[in-house]
Amino acid sequence: MASRLLTRSTTAARLLSHLRFPRALNPSQLDSLLGPSRGLPAAAERCPFGDPPNRWFSSPTAVAEAPMTADGLTVDSIAGKGWTILPEDDSDWRSHAAAVAQSVKLIKKRLKWGWILERSKQLSVVLERPDLWDDPVFAGKVSREHGELIGKIKSVNLFEQELMEHIDMLRLAREEDDNELEKETMRALAEMRRSAKEKELNALLSGDNDSCSCFIEVQAGAGGTESMDWAAMIMNMYRSWAQRRGYTVTIVEEMPGEIAGIKRATIKVDGEYAFGYAKAEVGVHRLVRISPFDSGKRRHTSFAAVAVVPILGDGSTRYQIKDSDLRIERFRSGGPGGQHANCTESAVRIVHIPTGITATCQNERSQHMNKSSAMAVLQSRLDQLEIARQAQMNADHTQSLSEISWGNQIRSYVLHPYRMVKDLRTNYEVSDPDSVLNGDLDDFILNFLSTSLDEADGSA
Amino acid sequence: MLASAAAAAALLPRRLNPNPNPKPYLLKRLASSTTTSSSARTTPPNPQIPISGAAAATAAEVESNPTPLFLRPAEHPIPATSLAAFRRRAESLIPPTAPHLHRHLRWLLADAAGEDPALLRLPLGDLEALWIRHVRDRRPFQYVVGNEHWRDMVVAVREGVLIPRPETEAVVEMVGNVEGFEGGWWADLGTGSGAIAVAVARMMGPKGRVFATDVSEVAIEVARLNVQRYGMQDKVEIRHGSWFEPLEDLKGKLMGVISNPPYIPTEDLPGLQPEVGWHEPKLALDGGKDGLEHLLHLCEGLSSVLKPGGFFVFETNGNKQSEFLVDFISTKWDSSFCDVGAVLDFADIKRFVTGYRR
Ligand SMILES: C[S@@+](CC[C@H](N)C(=O)[O-])C[C@H]1O[C@@H](n2cnc3c(N)ncnc32)[C@H](O)[C@@H]1O
Repeated sequence: MASRLLTRSTTAARLLSHLRFPRALNPSQLDSLLGPSRGLPAAAERCPFGDPPNRWFSSPTAVAEAPMTADGLTVDSIAGKGWTILPEDDSDWRSHAAAVAQSVKLIKKRLKWGWILERSKQLSVVLERPDLWDDPVFAGKVSREHGELIGKIKSVNLFEQELMEHIDMLRLAREEDDNELEKETMRALAEMRRSAKEKELNALLSGDNDSCSCFIEVQAGAGGTESMDWAAMIMNMYRSWAQRRGYTVTIVEEMPGEIAGIKRATIKVDGEYAFGYAKAEVGVHRLVRISPFDSGKRRHTSFAAVAVVPILGDGSTRYQIKDSDLRIERFRSGGPGGQHANCTESAVRIVHIPTGITATCQNERSQHMNKSSAMAVLQSRLDQLEIARQAQMNADHTQSLSEISWGNQIRSYVLHPYRMVKDLRTNYEVSDPDSVLNGDLDDFILNFLSTSLDEADGSA
Repeated sequence: MLASAAAAAALLPRRLNPNPNPKPYLLKRLASSTTTSSSARTTPPNPQIPISGAAAATAAEVESNPTPLFLRPAEHPIPATSLAAFRRRAESLIPPTAPHLHRHLRWLLADAAGEDPALLRLPLGDLEALWIRHVRDRRPFQYVVGNEHWRDMVVAVREGVLIPRPETEAVVEMVGNVEGFEGGWWADLGTGSGAIAVAVARMMGPKGRVFATDVSEVAIEVARLNVQRYGMQDKVEIRHGSWFEPLEDLKGKLMGVISNPPYIPTEDLPGLQPEVGWHEPKLALDGGKDGLEHLLHLCEGLSSVLKPGGFFVFETNGNKQSEFLVDFISTKWDSSFCDVGAVLDFADIKRFVTGYRR
């Protein structure tokens, strides 16, 4: 009977339906659901009256209470039990639970759990101030950040809660000898393991602007044609990488080298989390090879610098650009112009006078489009400056090209005398430079992101 | 899935590709043979001579299609590999020192491609012929693709009509700054592709009209296409004839007169850059002695078509012509015009003369 009632798809929904229609259960079933002591965990207590998550997190103190099974298991206690984690297809609930609990702990660490709890608490205090909306811009900012943090907290807690509910459900199924329900619950637990892995990855990209699109800028180091060729190879690597990830790539600005390669170029990478991933690439990339430009076939070392600039969405604080602060320079052919000239070059350079920051675009087919592209680049550069100023977070990935020191090498690509690509920050390496140069970068990126987050201070 | 991703990637511009095996000898040869902005050649090539390497069609055949490339149906299947091979061949014709040609190749491919990357808007052989002729004979890129991106518009053009210039974009801004322009009647004399007329019409209110005239049949045809493409049939009326002749019925009724007439002095025509001198219509460029023949004729007729308070803007050959015209109008017709002055273009050249009828 119970299993017929329990045909809804998610466990949470099933539990809710148990609780909403208690008459469908006999009292002992209810007891086993809620625990022998009737010392109700917060979630179960509130379920019949409404949407649990909202109630849970509407006050910051509620967060302190971790989701718990009827017999008192929590993510922490599960993780502390040292249950062996077996492969996913081994049907052992303890193994599944331990794997998910471990993931939850990692996710929390990556999200800087302690910090976001604290921060959300502070923000809710601010939100209660009666004069808050006297400054609507500030109020908007606070409530947006609060909303985002609460969203993150909620989603992790829901996940934990789901785990607890599955465990309870499993117990219920065993008590009732409901084979079908047991099988289904085991399947759901295994499924949680898979989605936990996904959430671990997503948690790597929980930084403020990680979900934004971005510009990637590459500049050749000293060394003439060889370096310019290397810069072009790097740029090509990012274009392939971005296309593989399904991002849209457009060239914004490009200064070709005299003989080959590029002196400098900017591409725009459009798509979710483009910045979150690409920011892992900021720094100097080094190449060692026999230069095809050297008739003596000697080994050369070249450098290219990479900068990544987020393109902030509308919701963020953006730098307010005044028209009067801009100087717009258009391409001039230098000749008599007008009817005399055929010119498809319509480069536009915009200078932001107060900061001296400039942006150029010559890639579009009209001045109109070049101007709006260059404006977008300028806006992002100024936004980046603003982020750095406001948050005082001079972390590596907010550096602009001009600030990147050539000493800041992050990765080495060796084509000769052996073949290897090695990340100098994580020591991650592969022996197939071609695949990397063709855009197979995800492993490098994820390794860097997890290293930098997981090995960061234990502030969680 | 993989195949279509590869096809899509193949269509994307590849300028940033590093050249894994640079062939210095080839590049050098091309650098010396490929024309850049100044050419040693003094005679235009004969377009009737078939182009070596373009097996499919002669230049004349390929170029006889009057529909701009980007407006043709995409109905020619193309394997991604052939397209990639074409791009390699095309790139091998241009040295890295000619970034504009690399851009052109990218744009040409963008215009030639259909929504479906496996379909082209012309046969590959024709594409090849177009490219070779562009690089070799300096046929203007805008004629190759049949359009010019001008302001926020894509203006259709073809041989026989002047490619609108970036300087001229400012004319539209000047018109937009005239008080009440959006409800008035305007004339664009020598409208060519109709670029100015359409751009002005697009800013107008329901009462505004632009009368666009030209003496050239091709210009009339192309202007009509552009008016239609931007849905401005109700606002732009195209009239065939010389300067003011088709406007007899509008005497004293115009709020403004706009013209970018031919203004290059006849004696300067032989020295023009090949893209212009060899390929654009003389009728659109030749301004007669001192380049002032048409400009002076336009000044003469102005006062009878403009209503009091009406505005005019002319594009000129630059400082000398502008200064002369400002001086000429304010001395000869001081009683008819006021606020006559020269306006700079983005290169700080006195490119325009504007003023108001008293
Ligand atoms: C320099 S083009 C300008 C075209 C267009 N208004 C633009 O700005 O791109 C000059 C135009 O004047 C036209 N034209 C030349 N003589 C003319 C005449 N006598 N009457 C009317 N139009 C004439 C030419 O056909 C040509 O289209």
